[in-house]
Amino acid sequence: MTLKSHHMNRRDFLRGGGIALALPFLNSMSRATGLAGKMQQPKRMLVTYIAYGVYDPNTGDGSSHEWSWYPRHDSGPLTLNKASAPFEDVKDSLTYLRGLDHPGGYGLGGHSSGDVFGTGADMSGREKTNNISIDQLAAKLNGHHTRYPSLVLGSEGGTGSYGMSKTLSHYGPGQPIPALEKPQEIFNRLFRPYANQSVNDVRARLKREASVLDLMMENYQTLHGKLGAEDRQKMEEYLDSVRAIEQRVERTSQWTHEELPIIDTKGLNLEASYHQPGEYLRCMYDLIYLAFQTDSTRFITFVTESEHSTGNLVGNFANKLFGYTGNTHDIAHKRPEEASGQWEKWRAEQHAYFLKRLKDTPDGDGNMLDTTVVLWGSAHPHASHSTKDYPIQIAGGNKLGFKHGKLHNFEGARKKPLSNLFVSMLNAVDAPVEKFADSTGELTEILA
Amino acid sequence: MKGIIQIIDAAARARIPALWASSGLAVLSAAPPTGVEGYESHVKPFFVSYCIKCHGPEKSKGKITLHTLDGDLAAGAGGEMERWEKILEVIDLEEMPPEDERQPTAAERAAVKAWIDQGMRDHVAKAAGVKSAPLARRLTNFEYQNTMRDLLGIDLELIKDLPQDPEKPYHFNNTAEFMLLGPEKLERYLKTARRALASTIVDPAKPEVHRQSWTFEPKGPAFAAMQPDELGVYTESKGMVVNSWPETGEYRIRVKAGAILPPGYQEAPLRIVMGSSLRSDAGTGDYTAVGTVHLKNNVENLQEFEFRGRIENHPIQVGQVNQKGQQPSTRLIYPQNLFDNGQLNDNHANHFDVAWQLSVPRVVVRSVEFESPVFDVWPPEHHTRILPESPLRSAAPDEYVRGVLKAFITRAYRRPASADELERFFKIYQMLAPEFATLEETMRETLSLVLVSPQFLYHTVAADGLTTPSYELASRLSYFLWGSLPDNELLALAAENKLDDPAVIEAQARRMLADERAQDFVRNFTTQWLGIKKSKAVNINRKLFPRFLFTVPNGERTGQEVLFRPTIRDYMIDETVGFIGELIRRNASVLYIVDSDFAWLNEPLAAHYGIDGVQGLEFRAVPVAHGAPLGGLPTQGSVLVGNGTGSAPHPIYRAVWLREAILGDEVAPPPAEVPALSDTAGEGLENATTIKDLLRIHRTVESCNDCHVRLDPWGIPFEEYNAIGQYQPRIPKSGATVRGFQPQTDVTLEGYRKYLNTVNTELADSVARVPNGPEVSGMRELKDYLLNDREEDVAENVIRRLLTYGIGRALTYHDRYAVEELLKQSGKSDHRFQDMILTVCRSEIFRTPITPPQP
Repeated sequence: MTLKSHHMNRRDFLRGGGIALALPFLNSMSRATGLAGKMQQPKRMLVTYIAYGVYDPNTGDGSSHEWSWYPRHDSGPLTLNKASAPFEDVKDSLTYLRGLDHPGGYGLGGHSSGDVFGTGADMSGREKTNNISIDQLAAKLNGHHTRYPSLVLGSEGGTGSYGMSKTLSHYGPGQPIPALEKPQEIFNRLFRPYANQSVNDVRARLKREASVLDLMMENYQTLHGKLGAEDRQKMEEYLDSVRAIEQRVERTSQWTHEELPIIDTKGLNLEASYHQPGEYLRCMYDLIYLAFQTDSTRFITFVTESEHSTGNLVGNFANKLFGYTGNTHDIAHKRPEEASGQWEKWRAEQHAYFLKRLKDTPDGDGNMLDTTVVLWGSAHPHASHSTKDYPIQIAGGNKLGFKHGKLHNFEGARKKPLSNLFVSMLNAVDAPVEKFADSTGELTEILA
Repeated sequence: MKGIIQIIDAAARARIPALWASSGLAVLSAAPPTGVEGYESHVKPFFVSYCIKCHGPEKSKGKITLHTLDGDLAAGAGGEMERWEKILEVIDLEEMPPEDERQPTAAERAAVKAWIDQGMRDHVAKAAGVKSAPLARRLTNFEYQNTMRDLLGIDLELIKDLPQDPEKPYHFNNTAEFMLLGPEKLERYLKTARRALASTIVDPAKPEVHRQSWTFEPKGPAFAAMQPDELGVYTESKGMVVNSWPETGEYRIRVKAGAILPPGYQEAPLRIVMGSSLRSDAGTGDYTAVGTVHLKNNVENLQEFEFRGRIENHPIQVGQVNQKGQQPSTRLIYPQNLFDNGQLNDNHANHFDVAWQLSVPRVVVRSVEFESPVFDVWPPEHHTRILPESPLRSAAPDEYVRGVLKAFITRAYRRPASADELERFFKIYQMLAPEFATLEETMRETLSLVLVSPQFLYHTVAADGLTTPSYELASRLSYFLWGSLPDNELLALAAENKLDDPAVIEAQARRMLADERAQDFVRNFTTQWLGIKKSKAVNINRKLFPRFLFTVPNGERTGQEVLFRPTIRDYMIDETVGFIGELIRRNASVLYIVDSDFAWLNEPLAAHYGIDGVQGLEFRAVPVAHGAPLGGLPTQGSVLVGNGTGSAPHPIYRAVWLREAILGDEVAPPPAEVPALSDTAGEGLENATTIKDLLRIHRTVESCNDCHVRLDPWGIPFEEYNAIGQYQPRIPKSGATVRGFQPQTDVTLEGYRKYLNTVNTELADSVARVPNGPEVSGMRELKDYLLNDREEDVAENVIRRLLTYGIGRALTYHDRYAVEELLKQSGKSDHRFQDMILTVCRSEIFRTPITPPQP
């Protein structure tokens, strides 16, 4: 989306560019008055990351290990094994994919391909600073129905740095989005956005910010006209950023006319920390669920653990949970059978809890899982330093065109880019694209 | 398989300073005609005879093909100049054709080189003066932090909440390509600016002063034979709770302290930190250092030490809710004994040996006083710098505001504010004024907006009517050597247009290098250039190296590193940074990076490397003899640990490091199909197959061999150094099963040495033949080879690094001849480091950077 925006004035952009601003207002009006007829059915997407690849040992006879992350080895209908047993209740909404990956991440070192998990950027080639991620593209194209276009979460917070990303989300090249990590902060941002200010005060502040941004834009123009062509082009990114903030201000301001959702915080442990890995992850998943359920946002990414958690407490989860002596990271290298099995089962339990919660929540004439597509995977296979053949599970979206119940193997000659799945996911959530990163089409195998 | 191997031997960047250096001048007469004619007569036949077999339509090794190149070099050859430059380099260094293939004659080589060189020169000359890539780039986080510090006059930690900058090992990130801006960043810039100005501009009323003090009497009951006011190296000190403090402001902490120094010790290091509750058992807590003092006075002679800092920079312990309701937040002050002789881990098996710590320096803290805010005058200087006391403020408020804006914007923009720019901000001020109660508040908001202007956030670029090239140059100099904005002296020279004189620039650069701010440059430049930060992320095998990390002996965090103090790996990074700083300070030759007659050490590092007689935590130059295992960069811990697996050395990582960081080659990452060697080598002593053997097996596959044959040899001589950076010429016998480390018997230093001697029985194989060079045995001979045969490459690499960092863009073939010239100049003074920096600053390319087309 490159807009030749300097040919338009700001208001033209805001109104004419249209997608971002006019609709939420209409949408909120329609909810209040019921005049606009049937509300659009929310279609949601969550991309979740697990670190260090998965347990999937070579059994030598083509069978699948009972503790393997994959329920089966080759293509075919799913029968769950010990590690995937927690998914029993949502089995009809599950697909496992083997052999998909982002070739753009091949050149990144041992634990660095997680950088491109959500973006598919060609980091060994022309894109040195990563590129827009799937959730941000969805938010750009279809994020205007909700109070927040997207939500970016990660157990370790922040952006991380090159080759050590702690976020899946990128606004564009060189623009990683810091992940939020603290449950209380996430809760406040979602459901208590005005802190202690009155709505009127908030509106006044936003109005002032909008006027100031106008003046900032004029200030920029004085410089812009005097720069050489190359520098001017480079500075477009500044202009785009100011515009994006203007949109946010305008959007926030419009949403002050909407009631904030009332949340029952019972059972929600917002104090949960890394010291209770189970409590913490459950709380994060609960917040994701609440964000979806209240239609506060429709596009979320969540790094449950980054590839570089050894330096912080998240890297001790396996130790906390079942006394594994060493960092969780070690499990991926040594692959001891018992610890690997326990670790896979635990990760599955956390994720299955969330899927089940979606499934148990009615939505229209079905349930929320049918209208939410959930990606769960890692940027490494069993061999934790390989950057190929990502383990991928795709769940939900039964009513968004996905067909489930199988494992599809794309290894070898059947190879396809993971970006093809991204194209299908984007199209399913009404963010229509023909191409994403290096995609060559849709992933037709999993479409109904 | 085709196209898998991507090792590019002499990458897109030139390395050959004097084209004829390695092949002799005798062949000059064989220079072929330029252009298509010469191509047809000399170059094409050469390619057909020696190259196309592997780099043509059939095969494309290294993704290089030659059959599609055409003969019109000077015209620009359709963006293929980078390829031509690569060809020129591999032919010149005789890296191609491979040694086991038919070789061209010297005359044939010379003719092709001459043809490419001439064509390239013509092309570069023709394209000179064309600007087609941006110079505008936002400040890096590092530059932003320094700029705000020097602009506002207070040192606030500001970049914690900003999205981190992208980084790439061996690359500098201060280029337009890396420094991008997005809404997330801009939003946080605004937040940060507001936060910074809330501290800088104070409210008129004198603030309430918060004070607290603590006293520790030296009277029993003694615990572990220590009095309550004593801190042993293993003492878990309790924090002093600070209950109240101002929201912003400077604090002062006064500590009355002394040392208990057993015979033979001269000092004890006391550090003060402040932050949240530090729980080493649980591993939680967050702190910022207040300061460190090396105590030389004893207990009979307690002295008072004063530390100052900003209260905003220290984390808070958020109050919990308990039965009594919400508890107030606190901050905690901790004194620490940082003594470290590199043996802290030696004397405990299951718990810290508290008796042992009585034999090493202890710290005595008798009292601590906290006070904040402290100020010498009110309002403080950082406030009056922006809002000066003036009768104008009430007499002619508009004039006053205009004056304030003009001064601030000029400083922030690093050049005079234009009338237009000034008016805009005056308008913003007027618009905001009714919304705020005071001028201070309005000004905070207005100036926050100055700090999110592109003129502030982006590097200063000359622009008609706004910025003269002199101001651009002043900024380029200051961001090069200080990572911050130009000071008044530089700006004054820019205003008088006096800066574009090589003599003036040289004088300024000398002055700047002598300034404390140059240390920021050294750290940023060194860590990025050498890619040493990764040494901290390597997972150390604690079973193999039980003494390396200072670890917790028991409890929940058993075996993990002791928290809340600098670690041996922090010291390793300080070693490398300090070493480069010392080379610059001494104006030693840049070849010292290969080998040097001194090492830069403190006590724990010296102990780690096996050097006696270094006491204390402060770094100093320690002489090392020629032939000793230390000296230069390749044998420093940050390099060796970062390029090891934590268990074993990793010759490939180390080879890549040597070629990238020292020789200036660009080594492409391995193709994904290749199994990682690190996964198969040295996870435990039990599997002590040498990595050299693994590589030998690896190289039997032809596609692997193509690249490894030119890579592995560089890493093999490093095999004498283990994964934790020590010289260790003996290793376990290949395939042997050895007993593991037993804490009960091997816990003392002596026991550990004995244990190692029973395990490490074979000499490590560190003999390799350098590609296109001689056989070298071990690091000593590798260093000698680099110093004798590759010194020009090393020097050119350093000058290219400095230039790239200084002008903030990657060098291309366009810069080839400019670099050649600089190198010639630098060679006249033996490539001395400081002289080399001055050469760069004086150069045409630095003063008026033309940005050539990007590849």
